[in-house]
Amino acid sequence: MNIIVCIKQVPDVDDIKWTKENNLDRNNMLSKINPYDEYALNAAIKIKSRFKEAKVTVISMGPKQAQDVLNFALAKGANRAILLSDKAFAGSDTLATSKILAAAIKKYCPDFSLILTGQMAVDGDTQQVPLSLAQLLEIPEITNITEICNADKNVAIVSVKTDLKIDIYEINTPCLLALKTECEENYIPKIDDYIRAQNIPIEEYDINDIGINKEDVGVIGSPTMVYRAFRPEIHKDTKEIKEDITKKILDFLLKVDNK
Amino acid sequence: MKKILVYGELNSKDNTIEKVTFELLNKARRLSSEAKELKQDEEYIVEVVFCASYLVDDEINKAFKAGANRVVLIKDSVFDTFYSTVYADAFLEYFDKNPSDIILFPATPKGRLIAPRVTVQLDTGLVADCIEAEFVLKNDKLLFAPTRPTFGSELMATILSKKAPYCATIRKGVFKTDFSNAKTGEFVEYTPISYHEDRIKLIKTILNKDKNDVDFTNAKVVLCGGYGLYSNKSDEYYKKLKKLAKITDSFFGVTRKVVDFNLAEQKYQIGQTGSTVQAKLYVAFGVSGAIQHIQGMKNSKTIVAINTDENADIFKYSDYKIVADAKKVIDDLLIYFDIKI
Ligand SMILES: Cc1cc2nc3c(=O)[nH]c(=O)nc-3n(C[C@H](O)[C@H](O)[C@H](O)COP(=O)(O)OP(=O)(O)OC[C@H]3O[C@@H](n4cnc5c(N)ncnc54)[C@H](O)[C@@H]3O)c2cc1C
Ligand SMILES: Nc1ncnc2c1ncn2[C@@H]1O[C@H](COP(=O)(O)O)[C@@H](O)[C@H]1O
Repeated sequence: MNIIVCIKQVPDVDDIKWTKENNLDRNNMLSKINPYDEYALNAAIKIKSRFKEAKVTVISMGPKQAQDVLNFALAKGANRAILLSDKAFAGSDTLATSKILAAAIKKYCPDFSLILTGQMAVDGDTQQVPLSLAQLLEIPEITNITEICNADKNVAIVSVKTDLKIDIYEINTPCLLALKTECEENYIPKIDDYIRAQNIPIEEYDINDIGINKEDVGVIGSPTMVYRAFRPEIHKDTKEIKEDITKKILDFLLKVDNK
Repeated sequence: MKKILVYGELNSKDNTIEKVTFELLNKARRLSSEAKELKQDEEYIVEVVFCASYLVDDEINKAFKAGANRVVLIKDSVFDTFYSTVYADAFLEYFDKNPSDIILFPATPKGRLIAPRVTVQLDTGLVADCIEAEFVLKNDKLLFAPTRPTFGSELMATILSKKAPYCATIRKGVFKTDFSNAKTGEFVEYTPISYHEDRIKLIKTILNKDKNDVDFTNAKVVLCGGYGLYSNKSDEYYKKLKKLAKITDSFFGVTRKVVDFNLAEQKYQIGQTGSTVQAKLYVAFGVSGAIQHIQGMKNSKTIVAINTDENADIFKYSDYKIVADAKKVIDDLLIYFDIKI
């Protein structure tokens, strides 16, 4: 049983730096695995621990640096790592990214049972790649998953828990599952694991290897483009209340309908 | 004539139209007048499309009042169960025969599933989770320009698409509703080829009985507790604020940090990854004013903030600034009501 986990390297959003021109200073920001993708990876490793024959392949589209997150995934227990990297991929939006991932999956691991992704990437937060990928591969999906209860070669049983209810679904493979919550098993790799991981070379493929058209990727292949980016500004005329605070708040609360 | 299509969302229990659909219709209508102002010969009609097994007349009329010129029902009983594949394929079948220039989807759980499946098949772009949309005039061409927050809302990006149809998902609660459209229009029923999804089965639903859904849609007053109310390692002040909200017929809300520290349930969270509110009155108790939180409340009419730090960011977004201990304020308010009751 082959499980693919799509992982993205993202800048640490708690460590955002800005250039003088008010652009994101990507060079000086730390990067890490997208947290939701780590949930997906943990879920995959958990399935692997139950089924000896299960194999986990992690795949990432991004710059060479994304090797770091792939190495991390190998140390955590993935069997195989694929990096899709090419200058031509830079600037890919969700459609182009999904096309690259889909083409690579079709070529290098077509016999998958499950594709696991994070619910969202914290840098862009579009939540569009999983659905676009599912559409391109013509497989069904379940998103916002809080737990993969069981999975084998043929079906997966997953639960989607909200404050209101828990829905439990059965889904035939091949399918795509997007994880929203952390599963309990989070294995933090040790030095030994990294050393073991070094024996697994990361497979790297570029645009020619994958065999995808230049017109479908990167800036050219992305139908959307940023027209302007700005930091939200506010101009409010704030009045300060210094006295009779309780009374004034009460006035607000009790007279809200007259406003 | 050009067309803006609104993908309509219905309540799955009784097929009434969800408020977000009216918000999108009103926005679509405003976009269409904006287009005309910028470029005289540019005219858009507004169409709303529902996938459902039925739609009652009352609801259809509401859609017209909210701004639709044309209401379409793609009608089939398969829609009684939601599958993104089934909805997207039926919608596309209709769309192929009745194309439009712009599609607005609601950024609701369902809208988020359908929209990418549709746009991938149309091989066009999709701008996610927008909080604004406008037209810009460039080289004498009108371009649809939606704006979305990125990087945890630290940055706003206005995004253009190279290819029609221009598609966006729009967050709920950011646009107002308006039922003043006097003209009714055309109602059309469309029967699709029946699509099925037999690869997914809902095998069980367990209701979380003691937990009620919190729906901020109609919240007039919101009392929001931030991490500043945390004291003595207890959730005491969140309980007090909740009580105060109850007495004053207000909604209780919290920041994500409060949720992260297990001091309140996620359903009360306001902000980018929680609910968006458009209250008449929003009172922040010990909230620092992180941009992700501001996203979810800034469209409230009157914003009052209580914080001990006179330089707290929240004050920049507030109409009224109160530098004080929010816990003391809550205690004083409770005393007032206890005496009154
Ligand atoms: C991708 C992403 C999404 C996010 N989404 C959301 C979201 O949807 N909603 C959200 O809220 N946050 C969200 N956040 C988190 C957000 O960045 C902040 O961490 C969070 O809003 C801070 O919560 P707070 O204001 O309660 O806490 P703090 O930032 O700790 O602020 C506490 C405030 O209380 C004041 N204070 C302390 N004691 C008192 C007192 N006795 N009386 C009065 N004031 C007092 C302090 O001066 C301080 O200003 C998100 C973050 C990321 C990265
Ligand atoms: N460049 C990428 N490489 C691998 N996986 C990705 C990439 N971008 C997005 N994903 C996957 O898609 C999920 C949702 O991302 P997004 O649609 O960008 O919010 C992520 O959690 C990843 O699992």
